[in-house]
Amino acid sequence: MQSETLSNHYEETKSFGLRDIVWAAFVIIGSLLAWDQYGHNMDVYEDAILGAAAIGLIWLGRFWRSFQPVTVVVTLLSVLAIYTYAKHGNVITANEQAFFLKYLISSQSAIMWMNALFILAMVTYFLALYQRSEFTGKVATTMVWSAAVFGLVGMMVRWRESYIINVEYGHIPVSSLYEVFILFVVLTALIYLYYEQKYKTKTLGGFVMLVISAAVGFILWYTFDREAHVIQPLVPALKSWWMKIHVPANFIGYGTFSIAAMVGLAYLITAKVKEKNPNSGFVKRMPSLELMDDLMYKNIALGFAFFTIATVLGAMWAAEAWGGYWSWDPKETWALIVWLNYAAWLHIRMSKGWRGKPMAWWALIGLLVTTFAFLGVNMFLSGLHSYGEL
Amino acid sequence: MTQETVHSAAPRKQRVLLDFLGSMNLAVTLLVMLSIASVIGTVLQQNQATQDYIIKFGPFWAEVFNSLGLFHVYGAAWFVLVLVFLLLSTSVCVTRNTPGFIKDMKQFSEKLSLKALQHQPQHTEFTSKDDLQTEQARVVKTLQAQGYKTKVHARDDGSVTVAGLKGRWNRLGYFFTHVSIVVICIGALLDSNLLLKYRELTGNLIPETRTISLKEVPQTAWLGPENTSFRGSVNVPEGQKSDVLFLPYEDGYLVQKLPFMVEVKDFRIEYYDTGMPKNYESDLVLTSPELDEPIVKTIAVNHPLYYKNYAIYQSSFGDGGSLLNLKVHPLLSPVENPIGLQTAVNKVEPLKTPIGKFNVEFNDFRLFNMVPTTEEEHAKTGKKFHNNGPSIIFKVRNEQGKAWEYENYMSPSLQENRWFYMTGVRTMNSEPFRYLFIPADAKRQKTRFFKFLALINNPVENTRIFKEAFPQSEQTDDKTYALQIRLMQQLMTLFRAKGFDGISEFINKNVPEEERQKVGDYYFGQTSFALQSLFLDVLKQEGAQPASDAEVSDFDKQWFEDALTAINTIPHYGPPMYFELESFKHIQSTGLQITKSPGKDVVYFGSAMLIIGVFFLFYVRQKRIWVNLRQAENSGDQADKAGTDITVAGKDNKPLPETETEFERLVHLLRTSSH
Repeated sequence: MQSETLSNHYEETKSFGLRDIVWAAFVIIGSLLAWDQYGHNMDVYEDAILGAAAIGLIWLGRFWRSFQPVTVVVTLLSVLAIYTYAKHGNVITANEQAFFLKYLISSQSAIMWMNALFILAMVTYFLALYQRSEFTGKVATTMVWSAAVFGLVGMMVRWRESYIINVEYGHIPVSSLYEVFILFVVLTALIYLYYEQKYKTKTLGGFVMLVISAAVGFILWYTFDREAHVIQPLVPALKSWWMKIHVPANFIGYGTFSIAAMVGLAYLITAKVKEKNPNSGFVKRMPSLELMDDLMYKNIALGFAFFTIATVLGAMWAAEAWGGYWSWDPKETWALIVWLNYAAWLHIRMSKGWRGKPMAWWALIGLLVTTFAFLGVNMFLSGLHSYGEL
Repeated sequence: MTQETVHSAAPRKQRVLLDFLGSMNLAVTLLVMLSIASVIGTVLQQNQATQDYIIKFGPFWAEVFNSLGLFHVYGAAWFVLVLVFLLLSTSVCVTRNTPGFIKDMKQFSEKLSLKALQHQPQHTEFTSKDDLQTEQARVVKTLQAQGYKTKVHARDDGSVTVAGLKGRWNRLGYFFTHVSIVVICIGALLDSNLLLKYRELTGNLIPETRTISLKEVPQTAWLGPENTSFRGSVNVPEGQKSDVLFLPYEDGYLVQKLPFMVEVKDFRIEYYDTGMPKNYESDLVLTSPELDEPIVKTIAVNHPLYYKNYAIYQSSFGDGGSLLNLKVHPLLSPVENPIGLQTAVNKVEPLKTPIGKFNVEFNDFRLFNMVPTTEEEHAKTGKKFHNNGPSIIFKVRNEQGKAWEYENYMSPSLQENRWFYMTGVRTMNSEPFRYLFIPADAKRQKTRFFKFLALINNPVENTRIFKEAFPQSEQTDDKTYALQIRLMQQLMTLFRAKGFDGISEFINKNVPEEERQKVGDYYFGQTSFALQSLFLDVLKQEGAQPASDAEVSDFDKQWFEDALTAINTIPHYGPPMYFELESFKHIQSTGLQITKSPGKDVVYFGSAMLIIGVFFLFYVRQKRIWVNLRQAENSGDQADKAGTDITVAGKDNKPLPETETEFERLVHLLRTSSH
């Protein structure tokens, strides 16, 4: 009896099944079609990045099955948007005429849908926590999935739109503060969804959505007050294939650090409530403290790995664009500070074995440091890296 | 006895020191110190002029901060010391732990006693029906299928331990990450200016702080091939070449001799339709005695030229001595006699005038002046920027050293539907330019303006024109008439000297208060009559014959008003000269940054090690498994079917919550493969 449940529990499909073959074929064919369509705009490095992205996507889809349908839906919607633009003669004003573009999948509409869904998801997650309703939790999760899809579609379509406005303007939408904020919320949401699935708990959703909603608030302010959503051409320093890898790697770091901080917040609240009343319903609903502690570690470890990659890539790019891999530029220096901060966190945890509250506080404060590196440097300090001034 | 203690005391002291250096507390303290220093370095602007700091913080705090090295944090002795300690701490840590870790990677600990196994974090026991040999083979197979390397140890008592080990690379992760920090620091050290600092300390290197020509820079500020690492810049005008580089050093600079010559053929800026720069490019030709053929390459931002260990980057641009063809208009001269002046940007021209000697410093020439369009214009043209055309920036300095800075535009620009030539002036760098708007005539030229101005300046001509316009009537005697003409003449002089304010000032000074109103009205009436007469004369000279001002066209009326506004402000324009840019030849210069960075590849190697190490450390988990197999105790009649007692124990070097389930899963596999 027990052995049966165990064997079910341990069932892991390691073999390369039909679904994997279909998935790999989908990615390869999609990449080849993209290359065929847009390859003339790409240099040899960008060809390599496309190839590596395809391999990475095949691996990611196998590692995390749920990413497969997301990819398919994002692809279909993006292609629909590109097709609709083409139908309307590839003019940007089509986003005011074509129904689908106007209300759903032009980059602006998709991003607005994403914004709305994220904020709704936050409310719904907290409602689910309050109601103890599994169904409400599922609704919230669906909202986050949909928001992530809309965000990805928004980015893909924005990429195409930049070329439609003017071929010379064309660039991957990770160049301005507005664009990277979208990248940030999408990546954070996806990483969160992965852990939500893995640990089968939706109770942390509201907490993670707090930071995402704050970012959404910024996007909205930035759009309506500063018109930052208008697609601008790239400054010469940013015209490089390095941007395609440096920026996303960085934002995996920022995303995971944010999740770690929010889990830290959930940890601290749960620990506080537990001290007062160990049998409270809230404590019972929340994941165990050990699990949250582990989740913080996993996120910071992942973020640290990618932040290291991003910083190294950034240094290599700096060597090519500014003539030196390290200039003690404010952005560089703050990246170092963030890196040192989490390096110290990991050392203390791994070597000294610290757990629990102090680490949760540290993760939470770490987010302040990270936010300053991400936003504060642009606001208060000037330097070579001032691409998104407020 | 005593000798022994002496012997062991020394190693113990060393031990204490090493323990301290290798301790986690020190490492974390250093990381935090490094962070705080970095924060200071970004919040306090680095490497500014001492004067700026004094203005910002006051002399006392500026001195305190300076002595703490806060204005050059990343080069300060204490900062370097923190880095050195971090290096030491990491090295000690690595040397101390590595032997143990290598041993740990290799050993399977297969000889652990059954008791020791039962004390492992995870352990369980069960009995299999199969005999020991069968079971042993199965266990080895199962563990290997799960990715474990195995080692079998047969004990004297007949029992067998199969020890499994997986994820050894985790330990390599530790080694890689920590050694990589040392490697990166060594790379950075190779690229630092420590050797230059040493040479400066020993006195055979003195940075130059003055702005002087290259020939005048003393040999003590020159560097040759002995300097293995540098990063400097040089501005090379189009069509010229350079084999030197300027390295910023503390408050001054050093001159680096290069083993090659870079010639700049051309420099270009391309623009987007928004007016934003799209690309900066320089066409370079690199020649060197070691090259048979010169290297010809166009560099751009993000696309440097690599030659041997050198890299040449597009980093800035400026004016490379554009040739300027100017006309200097004396603004007080009674006749139009502009002087031609052939000069170039970055040149200083001495100018002898009746009102004193001046030095004119030509600082810059701008081919384009992009300004945001007004909303109306944006609606009309759809463009966000428009080009105001070429301009020159220069300073006029008198003998006392006082300077006026000017910004003169070559082409007229449209203001409220009229065309004006703009010229800005200021006496302080911190001030914005105040503009004089010279109205363009019908041909969009400045000809009429200077003609009119010279006429006002000319007392002889004035008298003639006033007499013509205001003939002597029969009622006035000769003396009164002469006085009236002279008054108008004097009013013109006053107007030219100080503008309309000059006339008011004169009245306030010389007329009793009760009569001021009356006299004022009369004087201003006369002034305006005089100016109109002069203007009508200008129109006459142009060929028009307006009998009275009623026949003057609206354009000319507006022009007259604008001209008076301009002339009224000339007294505040500084030395009475206007520099008109007639033509130019644009010569740009490109700002090249040239680096030699022997540490770069070392740093990259270290970085690669760091990334690989981080992944090994976080995503490869070192796990150990022991399976102890013993012949089960016979329970009498079943002697032939003796089973096996099995003890499974496991240990992760970094236990995670999933460790337990993974162990259970493995035990499950071992059990199901039995039976």
